[in-house]
Amino acid sequence: MNYIENVYICLSAPLLIAVLCFGGKERRNLLFLLAGMTACLLSSYISTFLAAVQGANLQTAAMEIAPLVEECMKLFPVLFWLLIFEPEKKSVPGCVLMLALGFATFENVCFLTQNGAASFLHLLIRGFGAGTMHVVCGSILTMGMLLLWDRLWLRVAGTASLLAVASTYHGVYNILVSQTGWVAWAGYLIPVVTAFLLRLFDRKYLRMAV
Amino acid sequence: MIESIENGIQLVTTAVCTALSVSRAVRSGKRVWLLLALAAGVYFLGDLYWQLFLIFYGETPDYSYIPYLSWYAGYVFLLLLLLEVRGPRPSVPRSRLLWLFPVFTIGMGVFYLQWGDWISNITAAVLMSLLLWHTTDCVLLWRRDPPEMGKRCVADAIILFCTAEYAAWTSSCFWMGDTLKNPYFWFDTLLSICFLLFPWALRKAEEQ
Repeated sequence: MNYIENVYICLSAPLLIAVLCFGGKERRNLLFLLAGMTACLLSSYISTFLAAVQGANLQTAAMEIAPLVEECMKLFPVLFWLLIFEPEKKSVPGCVLMLALGFATFENVCFLTQNGAASFLHLLIRGFGAGTMHVVCGSILTMGMLLLWDRLWLRVAGTASLLAVASTYHGVYNILVSQTGWVAWAGYLIPVVTAFLLRLFDRKYLRMAV
Repeated sequence: MIESIENGIQLVTTAVCTALSVSRAVRSGKRVWLLLALAAGVYFLGDLYWQLFLIFYGETPDYSYIPYLSWYAGYVFLLLLLLEVRGPRPSVPRSRLLWLFPVFTIGMGVFYLQWGDWISNITAAVLMSLLLWHTTDCVLLWRRDPPEMGKRCVADAIILFCTAEYAAWTSSCFWMGDTLKNPYFWFDTLLSICFLLFPWALRKAEEQ
């Protein structure tokens, strides 16, 4: 039994106190970190529910259901913020990345509680791999949304399609890391390589969009 | 074996198209190249997901939401690309012939219902109707205007892509096995070649 609600309460309590203490940009960043952790908790519930409804086994749930659910859950807080608060474009990337970091952190903590913390090398690779993968998926959504956000039809169609890009990327990562040996290593490395490529790409392109 | 080779060809062509488009997007800073990169990239990811599943588990995914979503997203990005290339539409009345496309796609969707589920068939029919409608509308618009020949290459490439997609879907309904005689592989290879035509066509449109 994995008491992820208890883990969530334990991790989110100090963040909630910090949210009350800080203001402005710091508060917004902390709220997105918290939203990311909440999205991870809810994704876990929804994926489990959908897997039970569909009669899917653990492997099918991890490969085929979880990526889509997790990317949807990460997108919803950002969409809510963009649609209701209409923030400045330049503040969007930071907030989406905070959300992705919150999600990745909570997922890693849940992984630790379930699998133990004995294997340093595996946890090091997993920490970088899974963490970077969520950041990459967040970056794909952010960069796309920033570049496609100026017209209504681009907004609706573009956001839905970007969600598909992020979900498929996530799904490919999940398939690779569920294997053993060099395939799993390649899976863990892909997000790191993609993050470097996106970094090179966004230097020129994202600045133009912002 | 043939299926894996054919999937490999499609992975290579979509990867080449993505790399070329990203490179052009970074150099020119134009949104059309980013949209093409996203269209080819998402198609590549969908193919990769499908192929990895086949390699590691020896079967296609039980619930094909993720690869199908990525292929549908590819159609949406192609539509957005076309509308971006076209720009604001001149106030010219649309041809009534365009209504033939929804009739065709709905008809084919009903035919495919014998094999596929209704949600994916409806989604494919709607997206293909939109893509074919707007592409043909652009071809008709640009036919009247000779200086738009460069842009027409993009529309022609998209029409070829849609034709290859429908031909592949239809031939997959009458599966003739994993042999070279199966027309599905040839149509799907034509679809793969379209991804090499897109950057060339967009370059022509850009030059104009």
